[in-house]
Amino acid sequence: MTLDSVINTEPGKGFVMCNEAMVRGAIEADVKVVSFYPGAPTSEILDTFNSAQKYFDYKFSVATNEKVALETVAGASMGGFRALTAMKSVGLNVASDAFFSLGYTGIKGGLVLVVADDPHCHSSQSEEDGRLFGPNAYIPMLEPSNPAESREMVKAAFEISEKYGTIVLIRTTTRVNHQSGIITTGPIERKPFEKSQWAEVGKPYFTVGEIARQNKLNLLKKVKAMGEDFESSTFNIVTPGEGDVGIVASGVSYCYAVDACKKLGIKPHILKLGTTYPLPRKKIIEFLKPLKIVTAVEELSPYLEHNLKTIAKDTGLELTVFGKDSGHFSEAEEYNVPIVYKGIASALELKTTKDYESVLERAAGLKSILPERIPVFCAGCPHRATFWALKQAIRGRKIVFNNDIGCYSMAFFPPLNFSDSMLAMGASLGVSAGMSQVLKDDIICMVGDSTFFHAALPGLVNAVYHDRNITLFVLDNEVTAMTGQQTHPGTPQDRGMPQGKKKIIIEDVCKGIGVENITILDSYDVKNNVKPIKEALDHKGPSVVISRRSCALHGDRIKRRNKIPIVPNEVDKNACKKPHTCIRDFHCPAITFDTDDRASHIKSDICDGCGVCAKICPFGVIHPVGSESKTEEVEK
Amino acid sequence: MSEQKSFDIVLTGVGGQGIVMLSNALGNACANADIRVLTGELHGLSQRSGTVYIHLRMGGESISPLIPYGEADAILAMEPMESLRYIEFLKDEGIIILNKRVINPPLEIAELSKEKRTDFVTFENIVEKLKVVTPNIAPIDALALAMEAGNPRTENAVFIGAMSALANLPPSVEDMKIGLETVVPKKALEQNIKAFELGYKTAYDGLCDLVQCREL
Repeated sequence: MTLDSVINTEPGKGFVMCNEAMVRGAIEADVKVVSFYPGAPTSEILDTFNSAQKYFDYKFSVATNEKVALETVAGASMGGFRALTAMKSVGLNVASDAFFSLGYTGIKGGLVLVVADDPHCHSSQSEEDGRLFGPNAYIPMLEPSNPAESREMVKAAFEISEKYGTIVLIRTTTRVNHQSGIITTGPIERKPFEKSQWAEVGKPYFTVGEIARQNKLNLLKKVKAMGEDFESSTFNIVTPGEGDVGIVASGVSYCYAVDACKKLGIKPHILKLGTTYPLPRKKIIEFLKPLKIVTAVEELSPYLEHNLKTIAKDTGLELTVFGKDSGHFSEAEEYNVPIVYKGIASALELKTTKDYESVLERAAGLKSILPERIPVFCAGCPHRATFWALKQAIRGRKIVFNNDIGCYSMAFFPPLNFSDSMLAMGASLGVSAGMSQVLKDDIICMVGDSTFFHAALPGLVNAVYHDRNITLFVLDNEVTAMTGQQTHPGTPQDRGMPQGKKKIIIEDVCKGIGVENITILDSYDVKNNVKPIKEALDHKGPSVVISRRSCALHGDRIKRRNKIPIVPNEVDKNACKKPHTCIRDFHCPAITFDTDDRASHIKSDICDGCGVCAKICPFGVIHPVGSESKTEEVEK
Repeated sequence: MSEQKSFDIVLTGVGGQGIVMLSNALGNACANADIRVLTGELHGLSQRSGTVYIHLRMGGESISPLIPYGEADAILAMEPMESLRYIEFLKDEGIIILNKRVINPPLEIAELSKEKRTDFVTFENIVEKLKVVTPNIAPIDALALAMEAGNPRTENAVFIGAMSALANLPPSVEDMKIGLETVVPKKALEQNIKAFELGYKTAYDGLCDLVQCREL
């Protein structure tokens, strides 16, 4: 996309990603406050609002975590303004405490929460089904299938939100968020931002005991009314077909179902549901009445399927519902056209002409020669250096290493294969506290700087309070690296990025909490870091090791902006004794070896000149391009 | 938009090569020409050096962001191994435009180092496997062409140009140029257009005997 499609005040056409289309929809709806914590596949919503903020008067902030982000936009809504946040499904787990209460208290200004599930766990810990948040909290939910709907549904969500005084969910999946297409935009007409007065907009937002019980009754009434309203929603679309067979689908599964039916040469009646909570019950009954068979096509849990069964039974319809319970579809994995093709064909006992399995089989044979290309630490990544020193320091020790969520999670995978657990944001501290009570080993936990602020603080307070014998590594690379180098409270203030007003210093926070043993390392100073890490591990009670260096992608960007040259390193080919220390223990994407003589070789276009490989080279034959190596000096 | 001929393509490469920019140029080319277009993209993590792919569907009636197995008209690979990694998507006798420069993954390098071997997967190894599926393969030395255009970072413009040579591509050569112009910085436009033209010519020369190509 180009940002122009999001900010152009005139209506027009643009090629945008669903994430960007939702931003466009919100700007058209005159959203005034947005706040986020980044998380794939929703990070581009944050990034786009960030890039577009100079053109509009909405208040943008990166919050310390999803719960704070939701509470921030809830506060703005209570103050009478339209507000939006977006998060991945596991983010809503963090925010869910406030989320459920908000359902009970209601809101004032239109309030929209985009929640993205991640079937296939592309970048998440679980294939959680966020749709269950809707009925569990009695919060209405819309599900777009493509960029055009994404824009329209966000706009509509603000209207629904204000009409019923409720927060509204927009539920997506990775294949929706990261789908691009052409949208037709509407005009942007925004009222100038002007603060309100509580006396004019305020009302009580309170829910416990008798008040909560009353809130619940009101909530049930609201849901009933919304269900009635959704009966005529244009987001629920019936495409009439032939015979007495039907399909019910929503989100991206609808797209797969439509394409799969074409390939099967069938024309079932199709109900596309856009309002998946509350469901348009009458509309569904109307759709089901003439049918004998209906197949529910949906990823993850059988949410629609079970609702269809309930509705059919309550209405006395003689209807067979196919889906996951019948074994034609799985509750696991991400769908695609071939999976849905096969599922529908097996449910309806149709002959198939497409043999997708044999295509996959042939491909698997052909690509057996390919080495895996799994994500590794980038060239210049400070984490690679920290892990090198840590692995040296733990030689001869019995340890448990509890990892956390961030780029450093990748230590679990080859080549490092180094991690004993990883549960959730900040969880490594709690897990370590538990282990320290039952295991003899040295207990190590690790968080990034952003995760430190997000969810590690309560765990650290707990560890200090109970004097747990654990060592916490905080990898401080200045940004929330994994999701695209967004800012966080510890990001230095001179990086030329829009951000908060005060840098929070991690070691000061640790001191304030009462950590007595704090070690600060320069991640790149690999050899000198081994001893202090050992000392931190030897310390009885909680200790913190802060390993500090800017994320390589972020740091290089700043260097380029400030016109600071990035000088790559090179190997003195004649002096290289080929121990391959720089390759085997390091796995830097910039380092390979020449096939003619097996001497190590650094790719100058990828190397970012961090120089860590030069420090671990036992013969000192790596040096910046243009300088002279030690061996040459010796020869001279 | 009346019924349009469809063209499904898998864009692939290694994180950091600019696959998203490639997709944006194509998407904008279609948007300008009123051609239906949709993509399915995967960019969850922001690390460099991992595998990246985007399914891009032009024209036609399909509404799924992912191309079914064995149905892509073309694969465009900025790194050759990645063309083979997604070969299940290509239809028989589909078109492959691929970079000549192999980027061996760090894991392969480490493995070979440990076993004291030097038998890296080569460009020739990859092409041999691809030929089982299609004879229509156009190798491009994108870095050399980008350098010739005066900017080594215009490799993706080389590929946009290369794709433009295909007669079945719904956007015209001119549309493709407009798409490119929409996404590149103004100061690098001239070099990008040069790279585009070099890519076009190389693909035309490599493919015109095999598949239908069109004049610039």
